[in-house]
Amino acid sequence: MITEVPFPIMSEEDPAAEGVVGTWFVNHGEQVVAGQVIAEVQVEKVSQDVEAPVSGTMYQYVAEGVGIAQGAMMARIDSPDG
Amino acid sequence: MTTTTTRRITTAKAMAEAIALEMRANPEVFVMGEDVGAYGGIFGSTTDLFTEFGADRVIDTPISETGFIGAGIGAAVEGMRPVVELMFVDFYGVCMDQITNHMAKIHYESGGAVKVPMVLMAATGAGYSDAAQHSQSLWGTFAHLPGLKIVVPSNPYDAKGLMASAIRDDNPVLYLFHKGAQGLVWMKKNPRSIAEVPEEAYTVPIGEAAVAREGSDVTVVTLSLSVQHSLDIAEKLAGEGIDVEVVDLRSLVPLDRETVLGSVAKTGRLLVVDEDYRSFGLTGEIAAIVAETDPTMLTMPMVRLAVPDVPIPYARTLEYGILPTPERIEAAIRALA
Repeated sequence: MITEVPFPIMSEEDPAAEGVVGTWFVNHGEQVVAGQVIAEVQVEKVSQDVEAPVSGTMYQYVAEGVGIAQGAMMARIDSPDG
Repeated sequence: MTTTTTRRITTAKAMAEAIALEMRANPEVFVMGEDVGAYGGIFGSTTDLFTEFGADRVIDTPISETGFIGAGIGAAVEGMRPVVELMFVDFYGVCMDQITNHMAKIHYESGGAVKVPMVLMAATGAGYSDAAQHSQSLWGTFAHLPGLKIVVPSNPYDAKGLMASAIRDDNPVLYLFHKGAQGLVWMKKNPRSIAEVPEEAYTVPIGEAAVAREGSDVTVVTLSLSVQHSLDIAEKLAGEGIDVEVVDLRSLVPLDRETVLGSVAKTGRLLVVDEDYRSFGLTGEIAAIVAETDPTMLTMPMVRLAVPDVPIPYARTLEYGILPTPERIEAAIRALA
């Protein structure tokens, strides 16, 4: 099963404001467990943690420091079926 | 399902996690300072503590360093274990009487009868245009004055372990952390500020340096953010056959002279890198230790790389004109190799 992880909507005042993944704590292709903090993201100097919604193998869609729209998918987690 | 027992976290979170573990284990541990509560410390050192422990144990103070550091000392004297944050070490001027005449001297003045088991943590360091009153290191100033243990971590693992040791220590401990080594998303960061850290509590002993990288050609003795720079340069130069040993002091008081001397005896060549001021400071102290022990250990004159004796400039070009940058560390090592 594939689960995509969205960049959180952090600025309701300005949903068009671009976000950035400040820090990836999990490398591309590494295992994660549900609830593990995978990244710290930032919009307009406000930051928050993003947790893995499920366990599995995580793949990054964006590099650190590259702009990304709020709500856009920032990672994928492949979980074993069953 | 297996659960991870280590995960990569920032230095800032490692500090906060150590404090949280000690607070859960000991109700006498509490946190006090400016913006340590809901804000989580302006450099992240108390992230999420307020949510877990509330306003009774994570206490936001007014801008009143003499008052709240004094209150911390009083609580420590009465048997509590306060972790007090001085937001920037540069603010020491207004509260130095509390720090050096009370926190550091009560144990001595009482003939050992009264202990001050307090941690004073403070942010240090330059590199982000915060100018002369918010960019200093100043560890040499505090290490010069007797009575405080002083720790200065360079990475997440040591940050957590040294914080646990500092809180459990019955002596007053000054815990200095470099803003640029905290792994903050809004500041230029080195990947070494994010590393694998065990979830459980552990300690890193105060007074023990670490050989962060073994090498045979040149010894670099340093601490804090400069360890990260030195390791980066050591890895770069390894490709050219220059084998650099990096000694991370981790503690200034007590100072692990044996590890420094052992490394210098092995390589015969010494570079000391310090983001504090050059004169009357750490670089001269390390030189003196070598000279007093056996100056013939050095096969060529040692080199000091520190901030020249000027205020830290605001302008980025001027600021980077005086800092011990990776480029300067590299040039200094090449001159010795």
